[in-house]
Amino acid sequence: MSEMLQYPFMRVGLVMAVLIGLAAPAVGTFLVQRRLSLLGDGIGHIALTGIGLGLLTSTSPVLGALVVSVLGAAAIEILRARSRSGADVALALLFYGGLAGGVILTSAGGGSGTALHAYLFGSITSVTVTDLYLVAGLAAAVLAIVAVFGREMFLLCQDEELARASGLPVRFLSVLIAATAAVTVVISMRAIGLLLVSALMIVPVAAAQQLARGFRGTMLVAMAAGVLSAVSGLAGSFQYDLPPGPSIVLLALALFAVAVAGGSAMRRRRARAVPAGATAPAAAGQGADTRVDAEAEVLGG
Amino acid sequence: MTDPRHAPPFEMTGALVRRDGREVLGGIDLRVDAGDVLAVLGPNGSGKSTLVKALLGLVPLAAGRTEIYGEPPARFRGWQRIGYVPQRLPAGGGVPATVREVVASGRVARRSRWLPALLGDRAAERDAVDRALKAVDLADRARDSAHLLSGGEQRRVLIARALAGEPDVFVMDEPTAGVDTRNQAALASALHELTRGGRTVVLVAHELGPMEPLLTRTIELGQGRVVRETRAGDAHETPATGRPA
Repeated sequence: MSEMLQYPFMRVGLVMAVLIGLAAPAVGTFLVQRRLSLLGDGIGHIALTGIGLGLLTSTSPVLGALVVSVLGAAAIEILRARSRSGADVALALLFYGGLAGGVILTSAGGGSGTALHAYLFGSITSVTVTDLYLVAGLAAAVLAIVAVFGREMFLLCQDEELARASGLPVRFLSVLIAATAAVTVVISMRAIGLLLVSALMIVPVAAAQQLARGFRGTMLVAMAAGVLSAVSGLAGSFQYDLPPGPSIVLLALALFAVAVAGGSAMRRRRARAVPAGATAPAAAGQGADTRVDAEAEVLGG
Repeated sequence: MTDPRHAPPFEMTGALVRRDGREVLGGIDLRVDAGDVLAVLGPNGSGKSTLVKALLGLVPLAAGRTEIYGEPPARFRGWQRIGYVPQRLPAGGGVPATVREVVASGRVARRSRWLPALLGDRAAERDAVDRALKAVDLADRARDSAHLLSGGEQRRVLIARALAGEPDVFVMDEPTAGVDTRNQAALASALHELTRGGRTVVLVAHELGPMEPLLTRTIELGQGRVVRETRAGDAHETPATGRPA
């Protein structure tokens, strides 16, 4: 560990891992509840076009990715609101267009395969202190948005019609969630890579769902799991000379497997404890059934 | 344009709703006055849920107009006066939420987004949520996952959420469907408390059960039209002609 910290890029990388470990699952909790688990992937594809534009115009690829992916996220939300049926195909068109456009623009800009590879799969060694400031600022912005709008986003993700009947600005909040996800994709891409970035938004949340009873609880457990897998994945990748992004994602998946086992053991114990208390055994039985259903649904999805 | 101070909670004229080319509501006129306890009855597919959603502006009208306290829904700003109780608690992506979290979300229209909640506000909010939980007899389940409750308990959670917002008007979509008799009685007594305080209630129901004595009016829908209207105390039922006064 101390040997690792002698390298400046590892110090920068570890701080970055903590930041994205906190920000990605915080946004991801809303995405999972809105059934938008794959949105991050789509944004990742679109962000590649931004990187291509940045390389082509010799400006900042990160800035390009930020602008294009936020615009893309807003476009996705507007498409989804316009038409429920056509939205699915429209999203697919946007995703593939983003990926293909990114590859073409990168090669037109004279970018090498390695440059593309670094963005697709992450390359923590190339991260600079300037990158860290940018990531820190954006991560703080993401967490601030979650703190300020969290209650309204929660209601929106629970029930969109009810949110409208409570006078919430539904369109604005939907775009805000998507845009926040886009910012999170951009800050995580250097460490994890665009193709895997969505995993850190979703997998810790899927793990936390197994254990927590409430929304806030799920988000906090997911953030803890996110930091744990990001930091230990990065450290492990340094130790064993593995690529960081996939290491982080595999560790998060391992945490998910542990959470599934722990969660079902916990539910079994609770289900056994309740009938012993002799409080309405029929109701308890029904509750246990629902729990099994809920679990199956998560595993199936 | 009515003077907003005297405008009724809901006023709908000639409301027409089409879905996939089919008329779901075929020109409804309905005025709900403050203090009314109105039940919307009718068979499945008669447009009951669509009617209450149209009253709230959740379903666009193909023709006609509807106003909430004298304003069209898109311009209406006083949403903290409205408490909508939807038919069910959607599971969404399966992120759990505690009963308390769901109930507290009913206060969202009352809260300022930018000002951090003052201590007094927080205490008021906690009290309102506690009262709402107690009114539906779920205070001991506050920390449980709302989605793991039975169907009847979930309905009570949804009602508690509306109660927590302390609105003047309740709009309830089938609050009693699939709820056993004991829970229906609990619901009726919670509703009784509200109506005694002069609150306005619009509820969609299949059967009225223990809520019947609380009602001041019922309308019955059939194929998207009002087929019958009854006022409490009226011995005779008035079969609705095209446009009741």
